[in-house]
Amino acid sequence: MKEPLLGSFKAKPEPGEHRLGPIQEIHVPMRKYSQDEEVDFCIVGVGSAGGVLLQRLARAGFRVVGLEAGPFWNTERDWVSDEAGSYKLYWNDLRITGGKNPLALGANNSGHGVGGGSVHWAGFTPRFHPSDFRVCSRDGVGVDWPISYWDLKPYYALLEKEMPVAGPAYYPWGDPHGYTYGPHPTAGVSNVLVNGCTRLGIGVSIGGPVAINSGSHADRPHCIYRGFCIQGCKVGAKQSTLVSHVPDAINYGAEIRDNCMVSRIEMGPQGRVTGVTYYDPDKKEARQKARVVIVCGYAIETPRLLLNSACPGWEQGLANSSGTVGKYLMAQAGNVVMGRFDELIRMYKGPPANSLTEEFYETDPKHDFARGFAVQTVGPLPIAFAKQMMVAKGAWGWGLRRVMMDYNHWAPLGVLGEILPWEDNTVTLAEEKDQFGLPVARVTFNLHDNDRKLINFATKKVEDILIAAGAREVVQEQRYAHLVGACRMGSDPKTSVVDGFGQSHDIPNLFVCDGSILPTQGSANPGLTIQALAARTADYLISERENILEGRPFSRISPPVRHDLSPEGTSGRGVPRLKGTALKVK
Amino acid sequence: MAQALSNEKRRRLAGGTVENRSSGLAGLIEETLPKAIIRDTTIVEQHIREGQFQRSLALVTGFSSLLGGLEVAYEHYRGSYSQRIMYTPVVLSGLLALVGIWGAFNRRVARRLLPVVSGVMGLDAVVGFIFHVRGIARKPGGWRIPVFNLIMGPPVLAPLLLAISGFLGMVTAFLRQEEDLGLDRQTTQSYGSSNAKPNSSRLTPWGVSHEALTLEQDIREGYFQRGMALAAALSALCSGFEALYSHYKNNYKYKIQWTPIVLTPLLFAAGIGTIWSRKIAHTLLPIISVLAILNGAVGAFFHLRGILRRPGGAKHPIYNILYGAPILAPLLFAASGFMGLLASLLRRRD
Repeated sequence: MKEPLLGSFKAKPEPGEHRLGPIQEIHVPMRKYSQDEEVDFCIVGVGSAGGVLLQRLARAGFRVVGLEAGPFWNTERDWVSDEAGSYKLYWNDLRITGGKNPLALGANNSGHGVGGGSVHWAGFTPRFHPSDFRVCSRDGVGVDWPISYWDLKPYYALLEKEMPVAGPAYYPWGDPHGYTYGPHPTAGVSNVLVNGCTRLGIGVSIGGPVAINSGSHADRPHCIYRGFCIQGCKVGAKQSTLVSHVPDAINYGAEIRDNCMVSRIEMGPQGRVTGVTYYDPDKKEARQKARVVIVCGYAIETPRLLLNSACPGWEQGLANSSGTVGKYLMAQAGNVVMGRFDELIRMYKGPPANSLTEEFYETDPKHDFARGFAVQTVGPLPIAFAKQMMVAKGAWGWGLRRVMMDYNHWAPLGVLGEILPWEDNTVTLAEEKDQFGLPVARVTFNLHDNDRKLINFATKKVEDILIAAGAREVVQEQRYAHLVGACRMGSDPKTSVVDGFGQSHDIPNLFVCDGSILPTQGSANPGLTIQALAARTADYLISERENILEGRPFSRISPPVRHDLSPEGTSGRGVPRLKGTALKVK
Repeated sequence: MAQALSNEKRRRLAGGTVENRSSGLAGLIEETLPKAIIRDTTIVEQHIREGQFQRSLALVTGFSSLLGGLEVAYEHYRGSYSQRIMYTPVVLSGLLALVGIWGAFNRRVARRLLPVVSGVMGLDAVVGFIFHVRGIARKPGGWRIPVFNLIMGPPVLAPLLLAISGFLGMVTAFLRQEEDLGLDRQTTQSYGSSNAKPNSSRLTPWGVSHEALTLEQDIREGYFQRGMALAAALSALCSGFEALYSHYKNNYKYKIQWTPIVLTPLLFAAGIGTIWSRKIAHTLLPIISVLAILNGAVGAFFHLRGILRRPGGAKHPIYNILYGAPILAPLLFAASGFMGLLASLLRRRD
């Protein structure tokens, strides 16, 4: 092979070096805790929330072990910029899906490996609106959160700096605010959304908010607009906790045991958990003792683990005295509406997450449904596009081939509609067993009247936008995105599993911190909120240091925000913003 | 003011003889334009020849620094100010703009503060250049894929463009003010005995070589055509190179995008040629410089149109200015033309 001008790009990796992108590396050898040693925290699942918790608790000086069922990615070696080759980023173990409107489980609602779902999320990071925390009192549907937007707001701002989030200097919806990093340039699909919205007089946010670097951020390069965000960003520009928080966690002495599947949480005397049992990479059973166990397994695996950990005294599953573990599962309506344009759109170009409008986010008395939706850019690659066209147009055989040859002319826009929490949308245990002999999850999902009305209205609105932008033909595929709920937080122990800090109502040293604790979901992508909640829980746990170490009950008092726990290089970068520019509307 | 005019000029104003009509073009202009305008123009020309345009050049410095500052502010916003040092050119440009405008009204500021700020600006530009070179090196493939990374990476010569306003500020410091006639005679007479120059800025510490003092004095008297022409040439090169690859990003979709690319080598050649040839300084340099100024104005118009044509157009002004055609870049090209024109009006010692 011909040598490049100044030699090859990078010498062979040294032993022990862990690559996380073209210039990001972990050099420090990972700390190893013995299995007999009782660590302070055992985190089950190192994904969006787990990664943030691991980093903060390690930085605060605790002994922390993270157990992850998937691998600890070496991104340069393990990831490929290929749609079909990225299947291993998802949770591909057996799961049963059912109900009247069964969810497709896999790609866009699960994660596997360190970084979890944040490895393959598109990176949209809108905040929830203040109204999302008061859905029941405002609109009489769903349920209220035990915390308010103003409790979470400082953590939103903090995580937006840590990720960092690129977006407009002024974001008008919800609680108006601006972003640390500048917005991204637009590609074809964004231009369609902006054109359509502008012509209809609908406000639109261009170039963000997305957790993708628009300028280089320490050892993470800026985005190069190649479009493989949801195949795992090999560039390292898109945030995943794998590249943003995990390196810092390891530097501060956290241990991550990858390929370790936790089978049950061990219950001890005095109504406290004592640790976890897991299958190590050789599929041998092992134990880890811990003072506090935090479950971060996301909306299916978290309730499955709690239900699988049933033991004498907890026959219904751990922390399930309320009977709500596994109930109130939510997915967002993620209908993809596609318009065909005469001109070339080239939807594969640039990050699929780029522009959005939240103009229809709130409940509108003119509509016959409660709550609302957002419209966002999406960018399916050919395999996903073929599936969508098969559903939307019934294309098959030669017809599908002809549609596929037209790929570059289609512009897809995604609805992100709020589906309310319903008791009959559940995660339960099925008869079937996985490779470890553990019962797998059965997911039941049904749409209700409000959800259907909302979806119908939303898809019509997106069709209008596409037509205003100049589309000649519009088709749509019914689809769902994200998956939250099933271990919801609340102030009443009878109707919720955990409190506002993720602490179980039943078992004081058992925490749940991931998407499953969301009581309602808004029509914002949940990634930022999950990570912000994790940062808040971490602050709480750190403020309760004495109580944890001495096994006393927790105070349940909101701690002040810790700004000193951010990963290295968070402060002193980004667009200068005047404090207080975001109007505080309470 | 009248005594400011040299004998030659006075003769020309009075109608002049045939041999004093230096070129056909100048003669034509003199015949067609009203006398008052010609007189004012001649006074300006005279001031420049004599190095008595500190006020004007201070204003020009301030204005060009403002343009450059706005340009770097939004270009670095695109780069998200992801490094602290990215704030410095924005802050310094703002400062230089303020000091430049202040210097137009205050001799002490123009002579003492302006060169300091200009010097720091120049230094910052060099540091910026190094960081941009490093930025390209950090891109995947680095300097092993030079063309692609030059085009897609940080604009490598843009920091040096900011140095141009620093250069103008530096020159300003050594000039005389427009109404400095009496004082000016005195300094000219006391040329060589440095302590006779009140409030003057100095290139060199007291008592250094005769050559340095000569250079300082030459600038004061407007004898720095070569230096200004060289600066115009380098500025044109930086600006033109930016145009070359920025327009390449748009695949030279419009033919007019080639015009700055064509003008750049001409202006560069005219600027360099001026160092050796008085003739080029009086013919090619002003013509190309005027063309560059016009081209910059036309470019600014097309860039503005480009911004309005983007999706969302005027409804999303900040975003579209950010990612549309760089609205101030053509004006920076025009600034090179302005410097070339200035050079052609200055004097030289042969």
